[in-house]
Amino acid sequence: MSTENSSASSAVEDSPKSEQVTRLEQTNPDYDPNVVVETQNLTKIYRDFWGRQKVRALNALDLEVRKGEIFGLLGPNGSGKSTTIKLLLGLLFPTSGRALVFGKNATEVTKNERIGYLPEESYLYKFLTAEETLDFYGRLFDMPAAVRKERVESLIEQVGLTWAKRRQLKEYSKGMTRRIGLAQALINDPELILLDEPTSGLDPLGTREMKDMILKLRDQGKTIIMCSHLLADVQDVCDRIAVLYQGDLKELGRVDSLLQVSDETQIRAKNLPESAAEEIRAVIAKHGGEVLSVENPRTTLEELFLDIVRESQARPGHRSSGVESN
Amino acid sequence: MVVERFPDFFQWIGPGSLLFLAILVAAILLGLFVGYVVAVFRHGPFEAFYVVAQVIGDAIPDFLGMSLRRLVAIARLTAKEALRRRVLLVTFAIFAAMLLFGGWFLNSSSEHPDRIYVNFVMWGTQMLVLLMGMLVSAFSLPEDIKNKTIYTVVTKPVRSSEVVLGRIMGLGAVCTALLALMAVISFFFVWRGLSHEHQLVGDTQTLSSFVEVDQGSRKSRFSGRRVSENAVMEAQTTQDSGHSHRLELVEDIRDADSPPLVASNVVDSEKLPNGRVKYRRVVCHPIGGHTHPVTVDGEGKDARIQLGSSVGYFRARVPVYADSLRFRDRAGDMKDRGTNVGNEWGYRGYIDGGSSGIQSSLARGLFRFSGLRESLFRRTEVIPLDMSLSVFRTYKANVEKRVMAGLEFESVPDNPEVDNRFVSDMITFETNEYTLQTLPIPRKLVGKLLAPDGSIVGQGEYDLFDDYAKNGNLLLSLSCRDPGQFLGVARADVYFRAGDTLYWLNFFKGYLGIWCQLMIIIAMGVAFSTFLNTPVTMLGIVVMAILGFYSGFVRELTLPDTDGGGPIESFVRVITQQNMQVSLETGVLTTAMEQIDKLLVWLLAGLTYLAPDFSQLDFSDFLTYGYSIDPQRLIVAMVITAAFVVGLTILGYFALKTREIAK
Repeated sequence: MSTENSSASSAVEDSPKSEQVTRLEQTNPDYDPNVVVETQNLTKIYRDFWGRQKVRALNALDLEVRKGEIFGLLGPNGSGKSTTIKLLLGLLFPTSGRALVFGKNATEVTKNERIGYLPEESYLYKFLTAEETLDFYGRLFDMPAAVRKERVESLIEQVGLTWAKRRQLKEYSKGMTRRIGLAQALINDPELILLDEPTSGLDPLGTREMKDMILKLRDQGKTIIMCSHLLADVQDVCDRIAVLYQGDLKELGRVDSLLQVSDETQIRAKNLPESAAEEIRAVIAKHGGEVLSVENPRTTLEELFLDIVRESQARPGHRSSGVESN
Repeated sequence: MVVERFPDFFQWIGPGSLLFLAILVAAILLGLFVGYVVAVFRHGPFEAFYVVAQVIGDAIPDFLGMSLRRLVAIARLTAKEALRRRVLLVTFAIFAAMLLFGGWFLNSSSEHPDRIYVNFVMWGTQMLVLLMGMLVSAFSLPEDIKNKTIYTVVTKPVRSSEVVLGRIMGLGAVCTALLALMAVISFFFVWRGLSHEHQLVGDTQTLSSFVEVDQGSRKSRFSGRRVSENAVMEAQTTQDSGHSHRLELVEDIRDADSPPLVASNVVDSEKLPNGRVKYRRVVCHPIGGHTHPVTVDGEGKDARIQLGSSVGYFRARVPVYADSLRFRDRAGDMKDRGTNVGNEWGYRGYIDGGSSGIQSSLARGLFRFSGLRESLFRRTEVIPLDMSLSVFRTYKANVEKRVMAGLEFESVPDNPEVDNRFVSDMITFETNEYTLQTLPIPRKLVGKLLAPDGSIVGQGEYDLFDDYAKNGNLLLSLSCRDPGQFLGVARADVYFRAGDTLYWLNFFKGYLGIWCQLMIIIAMGVAFSTFLNTPVTMLGIVVMAILGFYSGFVRELTLPDTDGGGPIESFVRVITQQNMQVSLETGVLTTAMEQIDKLLVWLLAGLTYLAPDFSQLDFSDFLTYGYSIDPQRLIVAMVITAAFVVGLTILGYFALKTREIAK
């Protein structure tokens, strides 16, 4: 186990961050301040009461998440995304291998000072109001009352819940709960944010807002790890993704390069007559290319829906004609 | 009431801390062993060593890094959560119903209704509150884990120790509030249930309702009992709360310059030719430990006689016990135990009254007091000596005639070979069998001053504090003055009553005992629920509580050479119908059985040390019998409670730290 790491990190717990980094570099030659999360051969096997293997949830995962990027964990249900996040948070213990966060062992509690976590469903105390919720989590970070008050107010405003801040969470809709969930993850102004299915259960508008928020956080220099099974979400916001399937890492890389289909060429034009299209087909055939399809490009469904919503908000009562014409 | 010998706090804390440390070290070693074995299964023998080392290495910074703000935050949240559960409300509803309807079934006409009332509320509160403590604590953490709300808590820089201790604090706070409320309500319930008033039976509430005492037999016309020596008239009160009192008009003759004993109940006074004054007063005879103050409004035959509300139920006596009790037998030889009168409770030793042939038996019960100072007593002109004596009769004769006893006081000189000693004359009195009797001891006692050789140096009235107990030591010797009869005493049966403390204060001290038990139960519930599910946690608490309530009995079972052997041997004897005393056939099976029994008994003995000794935290007897609870006992109870909370927090910390929160 990482005895070196833990002893080094516990010794520097209270030092300022820059000093901490230098000292970590001195004591741990492997530590790279730009690597926020690192997993080495990380494996998780769920066992039953008798110790018999039930599920191999994660198999020898090697990952490295660098500072300031949005990293997406992608995969179908049960592929090991949530398990990875829980291992990084210390909610689960690895069967073998190790998970390091800020160069510290994931089970160490002090690393949580710099982490924000939004669980899959917002597991919050339903009998508290938004204000009380954030105040409670602020206390858990040992924030003094004045700082806490200021932070709670600005976060509630940031997630747009000022109007409902005195209502108990049990009265909240799914989207509102999600937002307050995000606010609690940001209460300590974390450097690393872990989001487990951040858009699940949200309507397209809420999804877009969440994505915008994630991008904004990245712009503020934060590192974000999110997991999702919704391809569109991951595609829109992630810089790099890892695709997991049944506990195995299948793909890892930058989103743009992963999604780029290098042997296909897409041509988009406006007001092109049918004859011109025929000509183009001929040109392609001449050069030995194969025409896959010629069609009018389509916007994504999400974009369309957003257009309608925006349109309806701008001109209430007016029925958008764009739907039928497409 | 049986008061065991109880060392003071400073005598207790030394061995107490040693025991605590021993248990702690044993628990740590056991924890290390179990932790290592579990880690071996998970990681293999070599890596397990590092895993265990890391957990221990993390523990110290984790405990040092605890923050009060986080603790309070978790405590507040837990309290809110617990309040939302219906358990507290239901508990309070049951308690309210218990008081509302329980009052119907409490027999207020019994001899000691105060004992019944106090016992009822204390027992009821204790059971309800402990059950409530068990339920709220066993559900709290598992529910949080089940709802996964704990995910957002443990992913913050919250130490496992804060989760455990915060929960104990939060649940403790709400349960304490409820217990306090129940204590206040109980107090008023007892107070209201016991206070009552009486009226005189007769046409008027004046002396005309009184009748002359039968001067021939001097027995009461109402009860048939003997009346007081100076009684001239008597009357009876109405039957209220299941009893009636007898009133007597007594005549006191006092010096002209000394006022009547009680001024408010004087009917009239008359100057006698010899210059003294005869006061006629109305007194109310106590029943079941209470009486009513009599006030006389006016003078003479038309004076209005009023009886006030009951007094005497709510007592918190402060006893000054003897350090030791030894006996002298009939021949005057010192013995550690009294005479054995046969199949009687071994608690008391008996003092032989001699036989009719030898009139003056030398048998004595010798109570040795130390640290007896005037400052201990509230009133020092007359010092009350409380006694609960039992009598063993070898002949019946006149059963109504009470057995006579004698008391002598002696000083215990520091240097008996040189110093003179004071010996008082014998004070004889009638014993009240079975009930507590109070003998007023005057401060000035007639006696002799004896030289070491036994010769009389002086004679006269000597002061109890300044002469007899000058160095704080005093010997009280009790003897039986009726030949053929025996007086039974134990050390706690005879004591000086230094005064009374405030009853309500004592009442709340009694509830502090319940609070200590409650806190231990809550701490157990939280600590156990870090690694057990709710039903198993509750089972664990019940087992520990039973061991705690009956720790004395269970420890007796684990003594070596118990008849019938250990659990397995006993079981075999039961099913094979073998006598407890018959030794079993020797063989491999018997040996194996005995060895397993030894292990089981050893485990059971170990468990009794882990279980809280609730008898040290239970003060209900003090309240029931009206004794003040010594602050030393309270301190000891608090320290025991704190030790359990600390120990269980440590257990909970390691259990929570080494478990996976997520599934």
